[in-house]
Amino acid sequence: MTKQHPAWSPYDNNGGTCVAIAGADYCVTAADTRMSTGYSILSRDYSKIIKLADKCVMASSGFQADVKALQKLLAARHLIYQHQHNKQMSCPAMGQLLSNTLYYKRFFPYYSFNVLGGLDNEGKGCVYTYDAVGSYERVGYSSQGSGSTLIMPFLDNQLKSPSPLLLPAQDAVTPLSEAEAVDLVKTCFASATERDIYTGDKLEIVVLNKDGIHREYMELRKD
Amino acid sequence: MVGKNCFAIASDRRLGVQLQTIATDFQRISKIHDRLFIGLSGLATDSQTLYQRLVFRHKLYQLREERDMKPETFASLVSALLYEKRFGPYFCQPVIAGLSDEDKPFICTMDSIGAKELAKDFVVAGTAGESLYGACEAMFKPDMEPDELFETVSQALLSSVDRDCLSGWGGHVYIV
Repeated sequence: MTKQHPAWSPYDNNGGTCVAIAGADYCVTAADTRMSTGYSILSRDYSKIIKLADKCVMASSGFQADVKALQKLLAARHLIYQHQHNKQMSCPAMGQLLSNTLYYKRFFPYYSFNVLGGLDNEGKGCVYTYDAVGSYERVGYSSQGSGSTLIMPFLDNQLKSPSPLLLPAQDAVTPLSEAEAVDLVKTCFASATERDIYTGDKLEIVVLNKDGIHREYMELRKD
Repeated sequence: MVGKNCFAIASDRRLGVQLQTIATDFQRISKIHDRLFIGLSGLATDSQTLYQRLVFRHKLYQLREERDMKPETFASLVSALLYEKRFGPYFCQPVIAGLSDEDKPFICTMDSIGAKELAKDFVVAGTAGESLYGACEAMFKPDMEPDELFETVSQALLSSVDRDCLSGWGGHVYIV
Protein backbone atom coordinates (compact mmCIF):
# COMPACT_ATOMS: atom_id res chain seq x y z
CA MET A 1 0.00 0.00 0.00
CA THR A 2 1.24 3.47 -0.82
CA LYS A 3 1.02 6.12 1.83
CA GLN A 4 -1.99 8.39 1.54
CA HIS A 5 -0.91 12.00 1.24
CA PRO A 6 -3.13 14.81 2.38
CA ALA A 7 -5.07 16.27 -0.56
CA TRP A 8 -3.27 19.20 -2.14
CA SER A 9 -5.01 21.75 -4.28
CA PRO A 10 -3.38 24.01 -6.84
CA TYR A 11 -6.11 26.58 -6.16
CA ASP A 12 -6.89 29.02 -3.35
CA ASN A 13 -9.65 31.59 -3.09
CA ASN A 14 -8.47 35.06 -2.19
CA GLY A 15 -11.95 36.63 -2.30
CA GLY A 16 -12.73 40.13 -3.42
CA THR A 17 -15.53 41.84 -5.28
CA CYS A 18 -15.50 43.71 -8.60
CA VAL A 19 -18.14 45.96 -10.15
CA ALA A 20 -18.25 47.80 -13.48
CA ILE A 21 -20.86 50.19 -14.85
CA ALA A 22 -20.98 51.51 -18.41
CA GLY A 23 -22.47 54.90 -19.23
CA ALA A 24 -22.97 56.88 -22.44
CA ASP A 25 -19.43 58.31 -22.50
CA TYR A 26 -17.74 56.83 -19.44
CA CYS A 27 -17.06 53.58 -17.64
CA VAL A 28 -16.71 53.08 -13.89
CA THR A 29 -14.78 50.03 -12.72
CA ALA A 30 -14.36 49.29 -9.01
CA ALA A 31 -13.01 46.64 -6.68
CA ASP A 32 -12.15 46.37 -3.01
CA THR A 33 -8.48 46.10 -2.02
CA ARG A 34 -8.70 43.24 0.50
CA MET A 35 -6.88 39.99 -0.22
CA SER A 36 -7.75 37.11 2.10
CA THR A 37 -7.42 33.37 2.48
CA GLY A 38 -9.92 31.55 4.67
CA TYR A 39 -10.44 33.66 7.79
CA SER A 40 -7.09 35.51 7.44
CA ILE A 41 -6.40 38.79 5.72
CA LEU A 42 -3.21 38.70 3.64
CA SER A 43 -3.29 42.36 2.59
CA ARG A 44 -5.52 45.39 3.11
CA ASP A 45 -4.05 47.27 0.18
CA TYR A 46 -3.89 44.99 -2.84
CA SER A 47 -5.15 46.45 -6.11
CA LYS A 48 -7.33 44.13 -8.19
CA ILE A 49 -7.68 46.56 -11.08
CA ILE A 50 -5.09 46.86 -13.82
CA LYS A 51 -4.94 48.97 -16.93
CA LEU A 52 -4.61 46.69 -19.96
CA ALA A 53 -4.75 49.40 -22.64
CA ASP A 54 -5.43 53.14 -22.86
CA LYS A 55 -9.19 52.59 -22.87
CA CYS A 56 -9.46 49.25 -21.10
CA VAL A 57 -9.15 48.14 -17.47
CA MET A 58 -9.69 44.74 -15.89
CA ALA A 59 -10.86 43.99 -12.34
CA SER A 60 -10.34 40.41 -11.17
CA SER A 61 -11.22 38.42 -8.07
CA GLY A 62 -10.64 34.76 -7.31
CA PHE A 63 -7.17 33.21 -6.98
CA GLN A 64 -4.68 36.07 -7.13
CA ALA A 65 -1.75 33.91 -8.32
CA ASP A 66 -3.79 32.91 -11.37
CA VAL A 67 -4.91 36.52 -11.79
CA LYS A 68 -1.28 37.67 -11.75
CA ALA A 69 -0.36 35.07 -14.39
CA LEU A 70 -3.33 36.12 -16.50
CA GLN A 71 -2.46 39.81 -16.21
CA LYS A 72 1.14 39.09 -17.23
CA LEU A 73 0.02 37.09 -20.26
CA LEU A 74 -2.45 39.76 -21.38
CA ALA A 75 0.21 42.47 -20.99
CA ALA A 76 2.62 40.44 -23.13
CA ARG A 77 -0.03 39.80 -25.78
CA HIS A 78 -0.90 43.50 -25.80
CA LEU A 79 2.77 44.45 -26.26
CA ILE A 80 3.01 42.17 -29.29
CA TYR A 81 -0.21 43.67 -30.66
CA GLN A 82 1.23 47.17 -30.31
CA HIS A 83 4.39 46.19 -32.17
CA GLN A 84 2.41 44.56 -34.98
CA HIS A 85 -0.34 47.17 -35.41
CA ASN A 86 1.28 50.30 -34.01
CA LYS A 87 -1.78 51.15 -31.91
CA GLN A 88 -3.48 50.35 -28.62
CA MET A 89 -5.91 47.44 -28.51
CA SER A 90 -9.58 48.44 -28.37
CA CYS A 91 -11.73 47.29 -25.47
CA PRO A 92 -13.91 44.93 -27.57
CA ALA A 93 -10.72 43.35 -28.97
CA MET A 94 -9.28 42.96 -25.48
CA GLY A 95 -12.62 41.43 -24.47
CA GLN A 96 -12.28 38.74 -27.12
CA LEU A 97 -8.61 38.17 -26.29
CA LEU A 98 -9.44 37.68 -22.61
CA SER A 99 -12.15 35.15 -23.51
CA ASN A 100 -9.76 33.19 -25.76
CA THR A 101 -7.02 33.32 -23.13
CA LEU A 102 -9.34 31.91 -20.48
CA TYR A 103 -10.75 29.21 -22.76
CA TYR A 104 -7.24 28.16 -23.79
CA LYS A 105 -6.99 26.74 -20.29
CA ARG A 106 -10.45 25.18 -20.37
CA PHE A 107 -9.35 21.99 -18.56
CA PHE A 108 -7.03 23.63 -16.01
CA PRO A 109 -8.66 27.03 -15.72
CA TYR A 110 -7.40 30.31 -14.37
CA TYR A 111 -9.43 30.60 -11.17
CA SER A 112 -10.30 34.22 -11.83
CA PHE A 113 -13.58 36.07 -12.15
CA ASN A 114 -13.13 39.14 -14.28
CA VAL A 115 -14.97 42.21 -15.40
CA LEU A 116 -13.51 44.28 -18.17
CA GLY A 117 -14.45 47.95 -18.32
CA GLY A 118 -13.58 50.47 -20.99
CA LEU A 119 -14.66 52.59 -23.91
CA ASP A 120 -15.53 51.06 -27.29
CA ASN A 121 -14.53 52.40 -30.72
CA GLU A 122 -17.34 55.02 -30.64
CA GLY A 123 -16.30 56.20 -27.18
CA LYS A 124 -19.29 54.59 -25.45
CA GLY A 125 -18.83 52.85 -22.12
CA CYS A 126 -18.58 49.06 -22.34
CA VAL A 127 -18.49 46.29 -19.75
CA TYR A 128 -17.63 42.65 -20.43
CA THR A 129 -18.33 40.05 -17.78
CA TYR A 130 -16.73 36.59 -17.69
CA ASP A 131 -16.78 33.22 -16.01
CA ALA A 132 -13.54 31.35 -15.22
CA VAL A 133 -13.42 29.52 -18.58
CA GLY A 134 -14.04 32.47 -20.86
CA SER A 135 -17.77 32.56 -21.48
CA TYR A 136 -18.46 36.29 -21.83
CA GLU A 137 -21.09 38.88 -22.56
CA ARG A 138 -21.21 42.61 -23.18
CA VAL A 139 -23.50 44.17 -20.58
CA GLY A 140 -24.41 47.57 -19.16
CA TYR A 141 -23.22 46.73 -15.65
CA SER A 142 -21.90 43.70 -13.83
CA SER A 143 -20.46 42.45 -10.57
CA GLN A 144 -18.14 39.49 -9.97
CA GLY A 145 -16.50 37.83 -7.00
CA SER A 146 -17.40 36.98 -3.42
CA GLY A 147 -19.85 39.86 -2.90
CA SER A 148 -21.50 39.63 -6.32
CA THR A 149 -24.63 37.89 -4.98
CA LEU A 150 -25.16 40.79 -2.57
CA ILE A 151 -24.53 43.55 -5.11
CA MET A 152 -26.14 42.21 -8.30
CA PRO A 153 -29.82 42.44 -7.23
CA PHE A 154 -29.28 45.99 -6.02
CA LEU A 155 -27.71 47.01 -9.33
CA ASP A 156 -30.64 45.36 -11.17
CA ASN A 157 -33.00 47.40 -9.04
CA GLN A 158 -31.21 50.71 -9.55
CA LEU A 159 -30.15 50.36 -13.19
CA LYS A 160 -32.87 48.17 -14.77
CA SER A 161 -31.06 47.30 -17.98
CA PRO A 162 -33.24 46.20 -20.91
CA SER A 163 -33.61 42.45 -21.40
CA PRO A 164 -31.00 40.97 -23.78
CA LEU A 165 -33.86 39.09 -25.47
CA LEU A 166 -35.56 42.26 -26.75
CA LEU A 167 -35.70 42.83 -30.52
CA PRO A 168 -34.33 45.09 -31.88
CA ALA A 169 -31.39 44.95 -29.47
CA GLN A 170 -31.39 47.81 -26.96
CA ASP A 171 -28.41 49.82 -25.82
CA ALA A 172 -27.10 48.35 -22.56
CA VAL A 173 -25.57 51.57 -21.20
CA THR A 174 -27.05 53.00 -18.01
CA PRO A 175 -28.81 56.37 -17.95
CA LEU A 176 -26.85 57.62 -14.93
CA SER A 177 -24.36 60.49 -14.98
CA GLU A 178 -20.75 59.73 -14.15
CA ALA A 179 -20.98 61.19 -10.63
CA GLU A 180 -24.19 59.23 -9.93
CA ALA A 181 -22.56 56.00 -11.09
CA VAL A 182 -19.57 56.55 -8.81
CA ASP A 183 -21.94 57.21 -5.87
CA LEU A 184 -23.91 54.04 -6.69
CA VAL A 185 -20.72 51.97 -6.67
CA LYS A 186 -19.77 53.40 -3.27
CA THR A 187 -23.21 52.52 -1.86
CA CYS A 188 -22.97 48.98 -3.26
CA PHE A 189 -19.63 48.31 -1.65
CA ALA A 190 -20.57 49.89 1.68
CA SER A 191 -23.52 47.43 1.83
CA ALA A 192 -21.60 44.38 0.60
CA THR A 193 -18.84 45.02 3.14
CA GLU A 194 -21.39 44.74 5.97
CA ARG A 195 -22.23 41.12 5.09
CA ASP A 196 -19.27 39.69 3.14
CA ILE A 197 -16.09 38.95 5.09
CA TYR A 198 -14.01 38.82 1.91
CA THR A 199 -14.90 42.40 0.94
CA GLY A 200 -13.58 45.43 2.78
CA ASP A 201 -10.64 47.65 3.78
CA LYS A 202 -10.68 50.03 0.82
CA LEU A 203 -12.57 50.64 -2.40
CA GLU A 204 -10.64 51.49 -5.54
CA ILE A 205 -12.64 53.18 -8.29
CA VAL A 206 -11.25 53.65 -11.80
CA VAL A 207 -13.16 56.05 -14.04
CA LEU A 208 -12.54 56.01 -17.79
CA ASN A 209 -13.90 58.82 -19.98
CA LYS A 210 -12.90 60.94 -22.96
CA ASP A 211 -10.51 62.94 -20.76
CA GLY A 212 -8.60 59.79 -19.88
CA ILE A 213 -8.38 57.68 -16.74
CA HIS A 214 -8.43 58.55 -13.04
CA ARG A 215 -8.47 56.56 -9.82
CA GLU A 216 -10.15 57.41 -6.55
CA TYR A 217 -10.40 55.62 -3.21
CA MET A 218 -12.92 55.25 -0.42
CA GLU A 219 -12.32 53.68 2.98
CA LEU A 220 -14.42 50.60 3.83
CA ARG A 221 -14.90 48.64 7.06
CA LYS A 222 -11.73 46.90 8.16
CA ASP A 223 -13.26 44.09 10.28
CA MET B 1 -38.38 44.23 7.95
CA VAL B 2 -39.04 46.70 10.71
CA GLY B 3 -40.59 50.17 10.30
CA LYS B 4 -41.98 52.79 12.66
CA ASN B 5 -44.62 51.03 14.79
CA CYS B 6 -45.07 48.57 11.92
CA PHE B 7 -43.43 45.64 10.22
CA ALA B 8 -43.50 43.96 6.83
CA ILE B 9 -43.16 40.27 6.07
CA ALA B 10 -42.84 39.11 2.49
CA SER B 11 -42.17 35.97 0.46
CA ASP B 12 -42.25 34.73 -3.10
CA ARG B 13 -44.99 32.43 -4.44
CA ARG B 14 -43.00 29.61 -6.05
CA LEU B 15 -43.18 26.04 -4.79
CA GLY B 16 -40.73 23.72 -6.48
CA VAL B 17 -38.85 20.46 -6.15
CA GLN B 18 -35.32 21.38 -7.15
CA LEU B 19 -35.62 22.67 -10.73
CA GLN B 20 -39.25 21.69 -11.26
CA THR B 21 -41.93 24.23 -10.40
CA ILE B 22 -44.97 22.65 -8.73
CA ALA B 23 -47.07 25.71 -7.92
CA THR B 24 -46.89 29.41 -8.59
CA ASP B 25 -49.38 30.61 -5.99
CA PHE B 26 -47.94 29.08 -2.83
CA GLN B 27 -48.68 30.70 0.53
CA ARG B 28 -45.50 30.65 2.58
CA ILE B 29 -46.63 33.20 5.16
CA SER B 30 -49.29 32.27 7.70
CA LYS B 31 -51.15 34.24 10.32
CA ILE B 32 -50.97 33.16 13.94
CA HIS B 33 -53.12 36.02 15.19
CA ASP B 34 -53.88 39.58 13.99
CA ARG B 35 -50.49 40.95 15.00
CA LEU B 36 -48.28 37.91 14.50
CA PHE B 37 -47.13 36.22 11.27
CA ILE B 38 -44.75 33.42 10.46
CA GLY B 39 -43.09 32.63 7.14
CA LEU B 40 -41.70 29.13 6.63
CA SER B 41 -39.27 28.40 3.81
CA GLY B 42 -37.81 24.98 3.12
CA LEU B 43 -39.40 21.53 2.78
CA ALA B 44 -43.13 22.24 2.34
CA THR B 45 -44.36 19.13 4.19
CA ASP B 46 -42.27 20.02 7.24
CA SER B 47 -43.42 23.66 7.02
CA GLN B 48 -47.06 22.57 7.05
CA THR B 49 -46.58 20.10 9.91
CA LEU B 50 -44.71 22.67 11.94
CA TYR B 51 -47.36 25.28 11.20
CA GLN B 52 -50.13 22.91 12.36
CA ARG B 53 -48.28 22.20 15.61
CA LEU B 54 -47.73 25.92 16.16
CA VAL B 55 -51.41 26.74 15.63
CA PHE B 56 -52.33 23.91 17.99
CA ARG B 57 -49.97 25.15 20.71
CA HIS B 58 -51.16 28.72 20.23
CA LYS B 59 -54.81 27.67 20.64
CA LEU B 60 -53.95 25.83 23.86
CA TYR B 61 -52.18 28.97 25.07
CA GLN B 62 -55.24 31.12 24.21
CA LEU B 63 -57.56 28.80 26.14
CA ARG B 64 -55.33 28.69 29.22
CA GLU B 65 -54.22 32.36 29.30
CA GLU B 66 -57.24 34.00 27.60
CA ARG B 67 -54.96 36.22 25.50
CA ASP B 68 -52.80 36.09 22.38
CA MET B 69 -49.15 35.13 22.54
CA LYS B 70 -46.51 37.86 22.54
CA PRO B 71 -44.16 37.66 19.54
CA GLU B 72 -41.15 37.01 21.82
CA THR B 73 -42.99 34.12 23.52
CA PHE B 74 -44.02 32.69 20.17
CA ALA B 75 -40.45 32.84 18.87
CA SER B 76 -39.29 30.85 21.92
CA LEU B 77 -42.07 28.32 21.28
CA VAL B 78 -40.96 27.84 17.65
CA SER B 79 -37.36 27.54 18.77
CA ALA B 80 -38.28 24.92 21.38
CA LEU B 81 -40.36 22.88 18.92
CA LEU B 82 -37.52 22.91 16.40
CA TYR B 83 -34.89 21.92 18.96
CA GLU B 84 -37.04 18.96 20.06
CA LYS B 85 -36.07 17.49 16.70
CA ARG B 86 -32.37 18.33 17.15
CA PHE B 87 -31.12 15.16 15.45
CA GLY B 88 -33.82 14.80 12.79
CA PRO B 89 -34.84 18.35 12.18
CA TYR B 90 -37.74 19.91 10.32
CA PHE B 91 -36.11 21.11 7.11
CA CYS B 92 -37.37 24.66 7.31
CA GLN B 93 -36.18 28.11 8.18
CA PRO B 94 -38.82 30.24 9.91
CA VAL B 95 -39.15 34.02 9.84
CA ILE B 96 -41.31 35.42 12.63
CA ALA B 97 -42.68 38.96 12.66
CA GLY B 98 -45.08 40.45 15.18
CA LEU B 99 -46.25 43.60 16.87
CA SER B 100 -46.29 43.82 20.68
CA ASP B 101 -49.19 45.31 22.66
CA GLU B 102 -47.34 48.64 22.66
CA ASP B 103 -47.02 48.50 18.81
CA LYS B 104 -43.32 47.70 19.06
CA PRO B 105 -42.27 45.54 16.11
CA PHE B 106 -40.42 42.26 16.66
CA ILE B 107 -38.68 40.21 13.97
CA CYS B 108 -36.67 37.04 14.22
CA THR B 109 -35.36 34.18 12.11
CA MET B 110 -34.05 30.75 12.99
CA ASP B 111 -32.13 27.87 11.48
CA SER B 112 -33.74 24.44 11.16
CA ILE B 113 -32.84 23.46 14.75
CA GLY B 114 -34.13 26.61 16.40
CA ALA B 115 -31.13 28.89 16.94
CA LYS B 116 -32.75 32.32 17.13
CA GLU B 117 -31.35 35.34 15.34
CA LEU B 118 -32.96 38.51 16.66
CA ALA B 119 -32.23 41.58 14.55
CA LYS B 120 -33.32 45.18 14.94
CA ASP B 121 -33.62 45.99 11.22
CA PHE B 122 -34.37 43.05 8.92
CA VAL B 123 -34.06 39.27 8.71
CA VAL B 124 -34.00 36.98 5.67
CA ALA B 125 -34.32 33.24 5.05
CA GLY B 126 -34.39 30.78 2.20
CA THR B 127 -32.66 30.19 -1.12
CA ALA B 128 -32.45 33.89 -2.06
CA GLY B 129 -31.06 34.77 1.39
CA GLU B 130 -27.77 36.21 0.23
CA SER B 131 -29.37 38.29 -2.54
CA LEU B 132 -31.88 39.58 0.00
CA TYR B 133 -29.12 40.53 2.41
CA GLY B 134 -27.50 42.62 -0.31
CA ALA B 135 -30.72 44.31 -1.37
CA CYS B 136 -32.01 44.97 2.18
CA GLU B 137 -28.64 46.21 3.41
CA ALA B 138 -28.61 48.80 0.63
CA MET B 139 -32.28 49.82 0.79
CA PHE B 140 -33.17 49.71 4.50
CA LYS B 141 -33.70 52.94 6.43
CA PRO B 142 -34.70 53.08 10.11
CA ASP B 143 -38.19 54.24 11.18
CA MET B 144 -40.00 53.96 7.84
CA GLU B 145 -43.73 54.65 7.61
CA PRO B 146 -45.95 51.77 6.34
CA ASP B 147 -46.18 53.04 2.72
CA GLU B 148 -42.44 53.47 2.34
CA LEU B 149 -41.79 50.17 4.12
CA PHE B 150 -44.09 48.37 1.66
CA GLU B 151 -42.23 49.88 -1.31
CA THR B 152 -38.80 49.02 0.12
CA VAL B 153 -39.67 45.44 1.01
CA SER B 154 -41.36 44.81 -2.33
CA GLN B 155 -38.46 46.23 -4.34
CA ALA B 156 -35.91 44.25 -2.30
CA LEU B 157 -37.91 41.03 -2.71
CA LEU B 158 -38.51 41.41 -6.45
CA SER B 159 -34.94 42.28 -7.36
CA SER B 160 -33.57 39.47 -5.17
CA VAL B 161 -35.80 36.66 -6.44
CA ASP B 162 -34.96 37.67 -10.03
CA ARG B 163 -31.37 36.62 -9.29
CA ASP B 164 -32.36 33.31 -7.69
CA CYS B 165 -33.42 30.40 -9.94
CA LEU B 166 -35.37 28.74 -7.11
CA SER B 167 -37.53 31.74 -6.20
CA GLY B 168 -39.97 33.89 -8.10
CA TRP B 169 -43.47 34.04 -9.58
CA GLY B 170 -44.37 37.22 -7.74
CA GLY B 171 -44.71 37.72 -4.03
CA HIS B 172 -46.91 38.21 -0.99
CA VAL B 173 -46.29 41.26 1.19
CA TYR B 174 -47.99 41.81 4.53
CA ILE B 175 -47.78 45.18 6.30
CA VAL B 176 -48.93 45.22 9.91
